[in-house]
Amino acid sequence: MTRLDPPQQALSSFVSSFTLFSPAEERFAGDRVRMVRAEEAARLDRLESQVENGGGGASEYLCLVGKLKARRSDKVLKHGLSILNDPKARSKLGGEEWTLYEQVAFAAMDCQQHDVAKDCIAILSKEFPGSTRVGRLEGLLLEAKGAWAEAEKAYERLLEDNPLDQLIHKRKVAIAKAQGDLSSAVNLLNKYLEIFMADHDAWRELAEIYMSLQMYKQAAFCYEELILSQPTVPPYHLAYAEASGLVLYTIGGLENLQTAKKYYASTITLTGGKNTRALYGVCLCSIAINQLTKGRNKEEKDGSNLQSLAAEALQRDYKERAPKKLPLVISMLKNMKLNS
Amino acid sequence: MAEDLVLDTAIRDWVLVPLSVVMVLIGVLRYFVSKLMRSHQAPDLKVVKEGQVILRARNLRAAAGFIPAKSFRARKIYYTNEENGLLHVPKGQAQNAQAQMFSDPNLAMDMMKKNLSMIIPQTLTFAWVNFFFSGFVAAKIPFPLTHRFRGMLQNGIDLSTVDVSYVSSRSWYFLNLFGLRGLFSLILGEENAMDDTQRMMQMSGFGFDPTKSLGAEKDSIDIIQHDWTLPKLEKRAEDVLKKLVK
Repeated sequence: MTRLDPPQQALSSFVSSFTLFSPAEERFAGDRVRMVRAEEAARLDRLESQVENGGGGASEYLCLVGKLKARRSDKVLKHGLSILNDPKARSKLGGEEWTLYEQVAFAAMDCQQHDVAKDCIAILSKEFPGSTRVGRLEGLLLEAKGAWAEAEKAYERLLEDNPLDQLIHKRKVAIAKAQGDLSSAVNLLNKYLEIFMADHDAWRELAEIYMSLQMYKQAAFCYEELILSQPTVPPYHLAYAEASGLVLYTIGGLENLQTAKKYYASTITLTGGKNTRALYGVCLCSIAINQLTKGRNKEEKDGSNLQSLAAEALQRDYKERAPKKLPLVISMLKNMKLNS
Repeated sequence: MAEDLVLDTAIRDWVLVPLSVVMVLIGVLRYFVSKLMRSHQAPDLKVVKEGQVILRARNLRAAAGFIPAKSFRARKIYYTNEENGLLHVPKGQAQNAQAQMFSDPNLAMDMMKKNLSMIIPQTLTFAWVNFFFSGFVAAKIPFPLTHRFRGMLQNGIDLSTVDVSYVSSRSWYFLNLFGLRGLFSLILGEENAMDDTQRMMQMSGFGFDPTKSLGAEKDSIDIIQHDWTLPKLEKRAEDVLKKLVK
Protein backbone atom coordinates (compact mmCIF):
# COMPACT_ATOMS: atom_id res chain seq x y z
CA MET A 1 0.00 0.00 0.00
CA THR A 2 2.86 2.30 0.52
CA ARG A 3 3.90 2.55 -3.06
CA LEU A 4 2.05 3.18 -6.22
CA ASP A 5 1.04 -0.37 -6.89
CA PRO A 6 -1.06 -1.39 -9.86
CA PRO A 7 -4.43 -1.77 -8.06
CA GLN A 8 -4.21 1.78 -6.85
CA GLN A 9 -3.35 2.99 -10.30
CA ALA A 10 -6.25 1.05 -11.65
CA LEU A 11 -8.47 2.61 -9.03
CA SER A 12 -7.48 6.13 -9.85
CA SER A 13 -7.95 5.56 -13.54
CA PHE A 14 -11.30 4.03 -12.67
CA VAL A 15 -12.28 7.21 -10.89
CA SER A 16 -11.20 9.34 -13.79
CA SER A 17 -13.23 7.25 -16.15
CA PHE A 18 -16.20 7.60 -13.88
CA THR A 19 -17.00 11.10 -14.94
CA LEU A 20 -17.44 9.92 -18.49
CA PHE A 21 -20.33 7.69 -17.54
CA SER A 22 -23.89 8.74 -18.08
CA PRO A 23 -25.98 8.78 -14.90
CA ALA A 24 -27.65 5.52 -15.78
CA GLU A 25 -24.32 3.78 -16.14
CA GLU A 26 -23.13 5.36 -12.95
CA ARG A 27 -26.02 3.90 -11.10
CA PHE A 28 -25.43 0.60 -12.81
CA ALA A 29 -21.80 0.42 -11.70
CA GLY A 30 -22.80 1.29 -8.14
CA ASP A 31 -25.52 -1.32 -8.22
CA ARG A 32 -23.12 -3.98 -9.34
CA VAL A 33 -20.75 -3.31 -6.49
CA ARG A 34 -23.65 -3.29 -4.07
CA MET A 35 -25.00 -6.50 -5.54
CA VAL A 36 -21.72 -8.33 -5.10
CA ARG A 37 -21.50 -7.10 -1.54
CA ALA A 38 -25.06 -8.10 -0.77
CA GLU A 39 -24.46 -11.51 -2.28
CA GLU A 40 -21.41 -12.12 -0.13
CA ALA A 41 -23.16 -10.86 2.98
CA ALA A 42 -26.05 -13.21 2.28
CA ARG A 43 -23.60 -16.05 1.88
CA LEU A 44 -22.04 -15.10 5.18
CA ASP A 45 -25.40 -15.21 6.93
CA ARG A 46 -26.20 -18.53 5.36
CA LEU A 47 -22.89 -19.99 6.44
CA GLU A 48 -23.33 -18.57 9.91
CA SER A 49 -26.65 -20.26 10.46
CA GLN A 50 -25.23 -23.46 9.03
CA VAL A 51 -22.28 -23.35 11.39
CA GLU A 52 -24.47 -22.42 14.33
CA ASN A 53 -26.61 -25.47 13.73
CA GLY A 54 -23.59 -27.72 13.65
CA GLY A 55 -23.56 -28.17 9.89
CA GLY A 56 -19.81 -27.75 9.51
CA GLY A 57 -17.97 -25.32 7.26
CA ALA A 58 -16.63 -23.34 10.20
CA SER A 59 -13.26 -22.63 8.64
CA GLU A 60 -14.91 -21.43 5.46
CA TYR A 61 -17.11 -19.14 7.51
CA LEU A 62 -14.14 -17.70 9.37
CA CYS A 63 -12.36 -17.13 6.08
CA LEU A 64 -15.30 -15.21 4.71
CA VAL A 65 -15.63 -13.13 7.86
CA GLY A 66 -11.98 -12.20 7.52
CA LYS A 67 -12.40 -11.34 3.87
CA LEU A 68 -15.47 -9.17 4.38
CA LYS A 69 -13.98 -7.63 7.51
CA ALA A 70 -17.25 -8.31 9.26
CA ARG A 71 -17.31 -7.74 12.99
CA ARG A 72 -18.84 -10.87 14.45
CA SER A 73 -16.34 -11.34 17.17
CA ASP A 74 -18.39 -13.61 19.44
CA LYS A 75 -19.04 -16.11 16.65
CA VAL A 76 -15.45 -15.94 15.41
CA LEU A 77 -14.18 -16.52 18.92
CA LYS A 78 -16.46 -19.49 19.48
CA HIS A 79 -15.85 -21.32 16.23
CA GLY A 80 -12.23 -20.27 15.87
CA LEU A 81 -11.39 -21.63 19.29
CA SER A 82 -13.19 -24.89 18.60
CA ILE A 83 -11.02 -25.35 15.50
CA LEU A 84 -7.81 -24.34 17.22
CA ASN A 85 -8.44 -26.65 20.16
CA ASP A 86 -8.94 -29.61 17.88
CA PRO A 87 -5.51 -30.76 16.65
CA LYS A 88 -6.95 -32.61 13.68
CA ALA A 89 -8.92 -29.65 12.39
CA ARG A 90 -5.99 -27.38 13.05
CA SER A 91 -3.54 -29.40 11.01
CA LYS A 92 -6.00 -29.37 8.14
CA LEU A 93 -5.64 -25.61 7.90
CA GLY A 94 -1.97 -25.74 7.00
CA GLY A 95 -0.53 -22.26 6.64
CA GLU A 96 -3.87 -20.69 7.38
CA GLU A 97 -3.47 -21.75 10.99
CA TRP A 98 -1.53 -18.64 11.94
CA THR A 99 -4.01 -16.33 10.26
CA LEU A 100 -6.70 -17.99 12.29
CA TYR A 101 -4.74 -17.46 15.50
CA GLU A 102 -4.52 -13.80 14.63
CA GLN A 103 -8.20 -13.57 13.80
CA VAL A 104 -9.19 -15.27 17.04
CA ALA A 105 -6.85 -12.98 18.98
CA PHE A 106 -8.60 -9.94 17.50
CA ALA A 107 -12.01 -11.40 18.25
CA ALA A 108 -11.02 -12.27 21.81
CA MET A 109 -9.84 -8.72 22.43
CA ASP A 110 -13.12 -7.44 21.06
CA CYS A 111 -14.98 -9.70 23.49
CA GLN A 112 -12.81 -8.64 26.42
CA GLN A 113 -11.38 -12.14 26.83
CA HIS A 114 -7.82 -11.04 27.37
CA ASP A 115 -6.58 -14.45 28.49
CA VAL A 116 -7.56 -16.12 25.24
CA ALA A 117 -5.98 -13.31 23.25
CA LYS A 118 -2.84 -13.57 25.33
CA ASP A 119 -2.55 -17.30 24.64
CA CYS A 120 -3.00 -16.80 20.90
CA ILE A 121 -0.42 -14.04 20.82
CA ALA A 122 2.02 -16.13 22.83
CA ILE A 123 1.73 -18.95 20.31
CA LEU A 124 2.19 -16.53 17.43
CA SER A 125 5.23 -14.84 18.92
CA LYS A 126 6.79 -18.24 19.50
CA GLU A 127 6.28 -19.06 15.85
CA PHE A 128 7.33 -15.67 14.47
CA PRO A 129 9.82 -14.11 16.87
CA GLY A 130 10.50 -10.47 16.23
CA SER A 131 7.63 -10.02 13.81
CA THR A 132 6.07 -6.59 13.55
CA ARG A 133 2.65 -8.04 12.96
CA VAL A 134 2.77 -9.96 16.21
CA GLY A 135 4.21 -6.90 17.92
CA ARG A 136 1.17 -4.95 16.79
CA LEU A 137 -1.06 -7.58 18.33
CA GLU A 138 0.80 -7.29 21.62
CA GLY A 139 0.34 -3.53 21.55
CA LEU A 140 -3.31 -4.02 20.78
CA LEU A 141 -3.71 -6.30 23.80
CA LEU A 142 -2.18 -3.62 26.02
CA GLU A 143 -4.63 -1.17 24.51
CA ALA A 144 -7.53 -3.50 25.15
CA LYS A 145 -6.51 -3.68 28.79
CA GLY A 146 -6.41 0.09 28.91
CA ALA A 147 -2.68 0.30 29.56
CA TRP A 148 -2.24 3.29 27.28
CA ALA A 149 1.25 4.32 28.28
CA GLU A 150 2.62 0.80 27.89
CA ALA A 151 0.88 0.32 24.57
CA GLU A 152 2.35 3.55 23.33
CA LYS A 153 5.79 2.46 24.43
CA ALA A 154 5.37 -0.84 22.60
CA TYR A 155 4.37 0.99 19.43
CA GLU A 156 7.30 3.36 19.72
CA ARG A 157 9.63 0.38 19.86
CA LEU A 158 8.05 -1.09 16.76
CA LEU A 159 8.30 2.21 14.94
CA GLU A 160 12.02 2.33 15.55
CA ASP A 161 12.43 -0.75 13.38
CA ASN A 162 10.15 0.32 10.58
CA PRO A 163 9.09 3.92 10.84
CA LEU A 164 6.76 3.67 7.86
CA ASP A 165 4.26 1.22 9.30
CA GLN A 166 0.90 2.81 8.60
CA LEU A 167 -1.07 0.63 10.97
CA ILE A 168 1.08 1.50 13.95
CA HIS A 169 0.75 5.20 13.25
CA LYS A 170 -2.99 4.75 13.13
CA ARG A 171 -2.99 2.85 16.40
CA LYS A 172 -1.21 5.76 18.03
CA VAL A 173 -3.94 8.08 16.82
CA ALA A 174 -6.50 5.65 18.20
CA ILE A 175 -4.79 5.68 21.59
CA ALA A 176 -4.87 9.47 21.69
CA LYS A 177 -8.53 9.44 20.71
CA ALA A 178 -9.42 6.77 23.26
CA GLN A 179 -7.89 8.87 25.98
CA GLY A 180 -10.01 11.79 24.88
CA ASP A 181 -6.99 13.79 23.83
CA LEU A 182 -8.41 15.00 20.55
CA SER A 183 -5.91 17.76 19.89
CA SER A 184 -2.97 15.37 20.04
CA ALA A 185 -4.92 12.96 17.86
CA VAL A 186 -5.26 15.77 15.33
CA ASN A 187 -1.55 16.47 15.55
CA LEU A 188 -0.66 12.84 15.02
CA LEU A 189 -3.05 12.53 12.11
CA ASN A 190 -1.65 15.64 10.50
CA LYS A 191 1.85 14.29 10.80
CA TYR A 192 0.70 10.98 9.36
CA LEU A 193 -1.05 12.64 6.45
CA GLU A 194 2.02 14.64 5.63
CA ILE A 195 3.61 11.38 4.54
CA PHE A 196 0.65 9.20 3.54
CA MET A 197 -1.42 11.90 1.99
CA ALA A 198 -3.42 9.59 -0.24
CA ASP A 199 -4.89 7.61 2.64
CA HIS A 200 -8.53 8.58 2.55
CA ASP A 201 -9.46 6.68 5.70
CA ALA A 202 -7.11 8.92 7.63
CA TRP A 203 -8.66 11.98 5.98
CA ARG A 204 -12.09 10.82 7.04
CA GLU A 205 -10.98 10.28 10.60
CA LEU A 206 -9.43 13.73 10.69
CA ALA A 207 -12.58 15.27 9.23
CA GLU A 208 -14.73 13.66 11.86
CA ILE A 209 -12.47 14.79 14.67
CA TYR A 210 -12.49 18.34 13.31
CA MET A 211 -16.27 18.23 13.16
CA SER A 212 -16.45 17.20 16.80
CA LEU A 213 -14.01 19.97 17.70
CA GLN A 214 -16.24 22.41 15.78
CA MET A 215 -13.40 23.34 13.47
CA TYR A 216 -15.65 23.33 10.43
CA LYS A 217 -13.32 25.04 8.02
CA GLN A 218 -10.66 22.42 8.53
CA ALA A 219 -13.26 19.67 8.37
CA ALA A 220 -14.52 21.08 5.09
CA PHE A 221 -11.00 20.87 3.69
CA CYS A 222 -10.76 17.22 4.68
CA TYR A 223 -14.11 16.46 3.09
CA GLU A 224 -12.95 18.15 -0.10
CA GLU A 225 -10.01 15.80 -0.07
CA LEU A 226 -12.37 12.85 0.37
CA ILE A 227 -14.59 14.00 -2.46
CA LEU A 228 -11.51 14.24 -4.64
CA SER A 229 -10.49 10.70 -3.92
CA GLN A 230 -14.00 9.24 -4.28
CA PRO A 231 -16.14 11.72 -6.14
CA THR A 232 -19.30 9.68 -6.29
CA VAL A 233 -19.74 8.68 -2.66
CA PRO A 234 -22.85 10.53 -1.42
CA PRO A 235 -22.00 10.63 2.31
CA TYR A 236 -18.95 12.74 1.58
CA HIS A 237 -21.04 15.24 -0.37
CA LEU A 238 -23.52 15.37 2.48
CA ALA A 239 -20.84 15.82 5.10
CA TYR A 240 -19.13 18.48 3.04
CA ALA A 241 -22.42 20.33 2.67
CA GLU A 242 -22.89 20.22 6.42
CA ALA A 243 -19.37 21.35 7.14
CA SER A 244 -19.51 24.24 4.71
CA GLY A 245 -22.98 25.15 5.98
CA LEU A 246 -21.66 25.25 9.52
CA VAL A 247 -18.73 27.41 8.51
CA LEU A 248 -21.39 30.07 8.09
CA TYR A 249 -21.87 30.34 11.83
CA THR A 250 -18.23 30.96 12.43
CA ILE A 251 -17.23 33.25 9.59
CA GLY A 252 -20.47 33.81 7.73
CA GLY A 253 -20.99 34.32 4.07
CA LEU A 254 -23.58 33.76 1.43
CA GLU A 255 -21.15 31.86 -0.71
CA ASN A 256 -20.73 29.08 1.81
CA LEU A 257 -24.48 28.65 2.03
CA GLN A 258 -24.81 28.39 -1.70
CA THR A 259 -22.01 25.87 -1.78
CA ALA A 260 -23.71 23.89 0.93
CA LYS A 261 -26.97 23.91 -0.98
CA LYS A 262 -25.21 22.70 -4.10
CA TYR A 263 -23.66 19.80 -2.27
CA TYR A 264 -26.95 18.87 -0.64
CA ALA A 265 -28.40 18.88 -4.14
CA SER A 266 -25.62 16.66 -5.45
CA THR A 267 -26.28 14.26 -2.58
CA ILE A 268 -29.88 14.13 -3.72
CA THR A 269 -28.74 13.35 -7.23
CA LEU A 270 -26.34 10.66 -6.14
CA THR A 271 -28.82 8.95 -3.83
CA GLY A 272 -31.82 9.36 -6.09
CA GLY A 273 -33.59 11.64 -3.59
CA LYS A 274 -33.68 9.01 -0.87
CA ASN A 275 -31.62 10.87 1.69
CA THR A 276 -33.86 12.70 4.17
CA ARG A 277 -31.02 14.71 5.61
CA ALA A 278 -30.11 16.10 2.22
CA LEU A 279 -33.73 17.05 1.57
CA TYR A 280 -33.91 18.96 4.84
CA GLY A 281 -30.56 20.51 4.06
CA VAL A 282 -31.77 21.90 0.76
CA CYS A 283 -34.84 23.38 2.46
CA LEU A 284 -32.89 25.02 5.27
CA CYS A 285 -30.20 26.37 2.99
CA SER A 286 -32.62 27.93 0.61
CA ILE A 287 -34.46 29.64 3.46
CA ALA A 288 -31.23 31.02 4.80
CA ILE A 289 -30.22 32.17 1.35
CA ASN A 290 -33.58 33.84 0.86
CA GLN A 291 -33.19 35.69 4.12
CA LEU A 292 -29.73 36.89 3.24
CA THR A 293 -30.65 38.00 -0.24
CA LYS A 294 -33.90 39.66 0.82
CA GLY A 295 -34.17 43.06 -0.72
CA ARG A 296 -31.31 42.49 -3.04
CA ASN A 297 -31.62 42.12 -6.75
CA LYS A 298 -34.02 39.41 -7.65
CA GLU A 299 -31.92 37.76 -10.29
CA GLU A 300 -29.73 36.26 -7.61
CA LYS A 301 -32.67 34.09 -6.76
CA ASP A 302 -32.19 31.63 -9.51
CA GLY A 303 -35.51 30.40 -10.75
CA SER A 304 -35.04 26.94 -9.39
CA ASN A 305 -37.83 25.37 -7.47
CA LEU A 306 -35.55 22.82 -5.89
CA GLN A 307 -36.64 23.66 -2.36
CA SER A 308 -40.34 23.22 -3.01
CA LEU A 309 -39.63 19.96 -4.76
CA ALA A 310 -37.51 18.85 -1.82
CA ALA A 311 -40.31 19.81 0.57
CA GLU A 312 -42.76 17.80 -1.47
CA ALA A 313 -40.42 14.82 -1.53
CA LEU A 314 -40.05 15.09 2.24
CA GLN A 315 -43.81 15.02 2.74
CA ARG A 316 -44.17 12.01 0.53
CA ASP A 317 -41.39 10.26 2.36
CA TYR A 318 -42.99 10.89 5.72
CA LYS A 319 -46.39 9.83 4.43
CA GLU A 320 -44.97 6.48 3.46
CA ARG A 321 -42.71 5.73 6.32
CA ALA A 322 -43.87 7.73 9.36
CA PRO A 323 -47.46 8.91 8.80
CA LYS A 324 -47.83 9.94 12.43
CA LYS A 325 -45.22 12.64 12.09
CA LEU A 326 -46.58 13.99 8.83
CA PRO A 327 -48.59 16.85 10.43
CA LEU A 328 -45.51 18.02 12.27
CA VAL A 329 -43.51 18.14 9.06
CA ILE A 330 -46.26 19.94 7.20
CA SER A 331 -46.60 22.60 9.86
CA MET A 332 -42.87 23.07 9.99
CA LEU A 333 -42.58 23.45 6.27
CA LYS A 334 -45.47 25.93 6.40
CA ASN A 335 -43.55 27.96 8.91
CA MET A 336 -40.67 28.00 6.52
CA LYS A 337 -43.06 29.15 3.80
CA LEU A 338 -41.86 26.44 1.55
CA ASN A 339 -45.10 24.57 1.35
CA SER A 340 -46.33 26.38 -1.68
CA MET B 1 15.63 -34.40 -48.15
CA ALA B 2 12.53 -36.27 -49.03
CA GLU B 3 12.74 -39.29 -46.72
CA ASP B 4 12.32 -38.76 -42.99
CA LEU B 5 15.09 -38.99 -40.50
CA VAL B 6 14.48 -41.69 -37.99
CA LEU B 7 15.23 -40.53 -34.45
CA ASP B 8 16.58 -43.10 -32.07
CA THR B 9 14.34 -43.67 -29.04
CA ALA B 10 17.50 -43.56 -26.93
CA ILE B 11 17.77 -39.89 -27.89
CA ARG B 12 14.35 -39.30 -26.38
CA ASP B 13 15.28 -41.18 -23.21
CA TRP B 14 18.76 -39.74 -22.75
CA VAL B 15 18.57 -36.27 -24.28
CA LEU B 16 15.10 -34.85 -24.66
CA VAL B 17 13.55 -35.89 -21.36
CA PRO B 18 16.63 -35.39 -19.13
CA LEU B 19 17.17 -31.95 -20.59
CA SER B 20 13.63 -30.86 -19.77
CA VAL B 21 13.71 -32.39 -16.31
CA VAL B 22 17.02 -30.73 -15.51
CA MET B 23 15.74 -27.38 -16.71
CA VAL B 24 12.69 -27.63 -14.46
CA LEU B 25 14.76 -28.71 -11.48
CA ILE B 26 17.21 -25.89 -12.00
CA GLY B 27 14.35 -23.42 -12.21
CA VAL B 28 12.94 -24.63 -8.92
CA LEU B 29 16.33 -24.63 -7.27
CA ARG B 30 17.04 -21.13 -8.48
CA TYR B 31 13.74 -19.94 -7.07
CA PHE B 32 14.61 -21.19 -3.62
CA VAL B 33 18.16 -19.85 -3.76
CA SER B 34 16.97 -16.40 -4.76
CA LYS B 35 14.37 -16.57 -2.02
CA LEU B 36 17.14 -17.19 0.47
CA MET B 37 19.26 -14.38 -0.86
CA ARG B 38 16.50 -11.83 -1.08
CA SER B 39 17.04 -9.15 1.49
CA HIS B 40 14.13 -7.28 2.89
CA GLN B 41 14.14 -3.80 1.49
CA ALA B 42 12.83 -1.13 3.79
CA PRO B 43 10.84 1.44 1.84
CA ASP B 44 12.42 4.82 1.64
CA LEU B 45 10.54 7.73 3.18
CA LYS B 46 11.12 9.98 0.21
CA VAL B 47 9.96 7.40 -2.30
CA VAL B 48 6.81 6.62 -0.31
CA LYS B 49 6.01 10.29 0.03
CA GLU B 50 6.50 10.95 -3.64
CA GLY B 51 4.24 8.07 -4.55
CA GLN B 52 1.54 9.41 -2.27
CA VAL B 53 1.88 12.94 -3.61
CA ILE B 54 1.46 11.65 -7.13
CA LEU B 55 -1.59 9.66 -6.15
CA ARG B 56 -3.21 12.62 -4.46
CA ALA B 57 -2.39 14.93 -7.36
CA ARG B 58 -3.89 12.43 -9.74
CA ASN B 59 -7.07 12.38 -7.68
CA LEU B 60 -7.20 16.14 -7.88
CA ARG B 61 -6.81 16.02 -11.63
CA ALA B 62 -9.47 13.36 -12.06
CA ALA B 63 -12.12 14.90 -9.83
CA ALA B 64 -11.30 18.60 -10.05
CA GLY B 65 -14.86 19.43 -11.04
CA PHE B 66 -16.28 18.16 -7.80
CA ILE B 67 -14.82 20.83 -5.53
CA PRO B 68 -15.47 24.57 -5.61
CA ALA B 69 -13.21 26.77 -7.70
CA LYS B 70 -11.68 28.42 -4.66
CA SER B 71 -10.62 25.12 -3.15
CA PHE B 72 -9.28 23.95 -6.47
CA ARG B 73 -7.15 27.05 -6.90
CA ALA B 74 -5.75 26.71 -3.41
CA ARG B 75 -4.78 23.13 -4.09
CA LYS B 76 -3.31 23.92 -7.46
CA ILE B 77 -1.02 26.48 -5.92
CA TYR B 78 -0.18 24.10 -3.10
CA TYR B 79 0.97 21.51 -5.60
CA THR B 80 2.61 23.53 -8.31
CA ASN B 81 4.06 26.75 -6.92
CA GLU B 82 7.67 27.34 -7.79
CA GLU B 83 8.94 27.83 -4.27
CA ASN B 84 7.78 24.91 -2.18
CA GLY B 85 5.01 23.22 -4.14
CA LEU B 86 4.72 19.53 -3.50
CA LEU B 87 5.21 18.62 -7.12
CA HIS B 88 7.90 21.14 -7.83
CA VAL B 89 11.31 19.57 -8.22
CA PRO B 90 14.20 21.98 -7.89
CA LYS B 91 16.60 21.61 -10.82
CA GLY B 92 19.90 20.09 -9.80
CA GLN B 93 18.18 17.96 -7.22
CA ALA B 94 17.05 15.49 -9.82
CA GLN B 95 19.29 12.64 -8.90
CA ASN B 96 20.00 10.14 -11.58
CA ALA B 97 19.83 6.47 -10.94
CA GLN B 98 23.51 5.87 -11.47
CA ALA B 99 24.51 8.28 -8.76
CA GLN B 100 21.92 6.77 -6.48
CA MET B 101 23.43 3.38 -7.02
CA PHE B 102 26.87 4.56 -6.05
CA SER B 103 25.61 6.29 -2.96
CA ASP B 104 23.74 3.20 -1.81
CA PRO B 105 25.86 0.06 -1.96
CA ASN B 106 22.90 -2.07 -0.89
CA LEU B 107 21.16 -1.32 -4.13
CA ALA B 108 24.13 -2.47 -6.16
CA MET B 109 24.45 -5.49 -3.96
CA ASP B 110 20.84 -6.43 -4.55
CA MET B 111 21.26 -6.10 -8.27
CA MET B 112 24.33 -8.26 -8.17
CA LYS B 113 22.58 -10.95 -6.20
CA LYS B 114 19.76 -11.01 -8.67
CA ASN B 115 22.20 -11.13 -11.54
CA LEU B 116 24.24 -13.89 -10.01
CA SER B 117 21.26 -16.10 -9.35
CA MET B 118 20.29 -15.68 -12.96
CA ILE B 119 23.54 -15.75 -14.87
CA ILE B 120 25.52 -18.44 -13.07
CA PRO B 121 23.05 -21.29 -13.47
CA GLN B 122 22.38 -20.23 -17.02
CA THR B 123 26.02 -20.33 -18.06
CA LEU B 124 26.53 -23.60 -16.27
CA THR B 125 23.56 -25.32 -17.87
CA PHE B 126 24.47 -23.93 -21.25
CA ALA B 127 28.00 -25.27 -20.93
CA TRP B 128 26.63 -28.60 -19.77
CA VAL B 129 24.25 -28.85 -22.70
CA ASN B 130 26.94 -27.80 -25.12
CA PHE B 131 29.38 -30.33 -23.80
CA PHE B 132 27.15 -33.37 -23.62
CA PHE B 133 24.40 -32.83 -26.11
CA SER B 134 25.82 -30.80 -28.93
CA GLY B 135 24.86 -31.87 -32.38
CA PHE B 136 21.88 -34.04 -31.51
CA VAL B 137 18.68 -33.82 -33.40
CA ALA B 138 16.48 -34.23 -30.38
CA ALA B 139 12.91 -33.89 -31.57
CA LYS B 140 10.65 -33.26 -34.49
CA ILE B 141 7.76 -30.88 -34.44
CA PRO B 142 4.67 -32.17 -36.20
CA PHE B 143 4.24 -29.32 -38.69
CA PRO B 144 6.44 -27.83 -41.42
CA LEU B 145 8.09 -24.46 -40.96
CA THR B 146 9.84 -21.98 -43.21
CA HIS B 147 13.57 -21.55 -43.37
CA ARG B 148 13.52 -18.51 -41.17
CA PHE B 149 12.99 -20.77 -38.17
CA ARG B 150 16.24 -22.60 -38.80
CA GLY B 151 18.19 -20.31 -36.48
CA MET B 152 15.68 -20.83 -33.74
CA LEU B 153 15.17 -24.57 -33.99
CA GLN B 154 18.46 -25.88 -35.29
CA ASN B 155 20.99 -24.00 -33.30
CA GLY B 156 24.21 -25.94 -33.33
CA ILE B 157 23.56 -27.92 -36.50
CA ASP B 158 25.16 -26.43 -39.55
CA LEU B 159 23.35 -28.41 -42.18
CA SER B 160 21.13 -26.52 -44.54
CA THR B 161 19.56 -29.68 -45.89
CA VAL B 162 17.87 -30.90 -42.73
CA ASP B 163 14.16 -30.19 -42.67
CA VAL B 164 13.33 -27.24 -40.41
CA SER B 165 10.87 -29.17 -38.31
CA TYR B 166 13.70 -31.06 -36.61
CA VAL B 167 14.82 -29.49 -33.35
CA SER B 168 18.42 -29.63 -32.21
CA SER B 169 19.30 -30.27 -28.59
CA ARG B 170 20.71 -26.81 -28.03
CA SER B 171 17.54 -25.25 -29.41
CA TRP B 172 15.52 -27.52 -27.18
CA TYR B 173 17.48 -26.04 -24.28
CA PHE B 174 16.58 -22.51 -25.34
CA LEU B 175 12.95 -23.41 -25.87
CA ASN B 176 12.87 -24.80 -22.36
CA LEU B 177 14.64 -21.80 -20.90
CA PHE B 178 12.05 -19.38 -22.16
CA GLY B 179 9.02 -21.61 -22.39
CA LEU B 180 8.76 -23.13 -18.93
CA ARG B 181 7.15 -20.13 -17.33
CA GLY B 182 3.68 -21.63 -17.32
CA LEU B 183 4.97 -24.76 -15.67
CA PHE B 184 6.79 -22.76 -12.99
CA SER B 185 3.69 -20.78 -12.20
CA LEU B 186 1.93 -24.11 -11.72
CA ILE B 187 4.62 -25.55 -9.48
CA LEU B 188 5.65 -22.49 -7.51
CA GLY B 189 2.39 -20.58 -7.42
CA GLU B 190 1.18 -17.79 -9.64
CA GLU B 191 3.35 -14.96 -8.39
CA ASN B 192 6.46 -16.94 -7.72
CA ALA B 193 7.07 -17.93 -11.28
CA MET B 194 10.60 -17.22 -12.30
CA ASP B 195 10.39 -15.18 -15.38
CA ASP B 196 13.65 -14.46 -17.02
CA THR B 197 12.24 -12.28 -19.72
CA GLN B 198 10.40 -10.14 -17.21
CA ARG B 199 13.50 -9.84 -15.12
CA MET B 200 15.44 -8.58 -18.07
CA MET B 201 12.78 -5.95 -18.63
CA GLN B 202 13.05 -4.90 -15.02
CA MET B 203 16.76 -4.55 -15.29
CA SER B 204 16.58 -2.34 -18.29
CA GLY B 205 13.90 -0.25 -16.63
CA PHE B 206 16.00 0.23 -13.55
CA GLY B 207 16.81 3.81 -14.32
CA PHE B 208 13.23 4.84 -13.52
CA ASP B 209 13.20 8.31 -12.09
CA PRO B 210 10.39 9.35 -9.72
CA THR B 211 11.19 13.02 -10.12
CA LYS B 212 10.20 12.75 -13.75
CA SER B 213 6.71 11.57 -12.89
CA LEU B 214 6.44 14.40 -10.37
CA GLY B 215 7.26 16.85 -13.12
CA ALA B 216 4.79 15.26 -15.50
CA GLU B 217 2.04 15.42 -12.91
CA LYS B 218 2.85 19.04 -12.26
CA ASP B 219 2.55 19.88 -15.93
CA SER B 220 -0.79 18.17 -16.28
CA ILE B 221 -2.18 19.94 -13.21
CA ASP B 222 -0.92 23.21 -14.61
CA ILE B 223 -2.97 22.88 -17.74
CA ILE B 224 -6.33 21.61 -16.47
CA GLN B 225 -9.20 24.04 -16.43
CA HIS B 226 -11.52 23.99 -13.49
CA ASP B 227 -15.09 23.24 -14.46
CA TRP B 228 -17.42 22.95 -11.51
CA THR B 229 -19.86 20.09 -12.03
CA LEU B 230 -21.98 20.93 -9.01
CA PRO B 231 -24.38 23.33 -10.78
CA LYS B 232 -25.04 20.56 -13.27
CA LEU B 233 -25.64 18.12 -10.46
CA GLU B 234 -28.01 20.61 -8.84
CA LYS B 235 -30.05 20.77 -12.02
CA ARG B 236 -30.07 17.04 -12.19
CA ALA B 237 -31.25 16.88 -8.59
CA GLU B 238 -34.30 18.83 -9.68
CA ASP B 239 -35.09 16.26 -12.33
CA VAL B 240 -34.57 13.45 -9.87
CA LEU B 241 -36.96 15.01 -7.39
CA LYS B 242 -39.52 15.77 -10.07
CA LYS B 243 -39.50 12.14 -11.05
CA LEU B 244 -39.79 11.11 -7.44
CA VAL B 245 -42.66 13.42 -6.61
CA LYS B 246 -44.69 12.51 -9.66
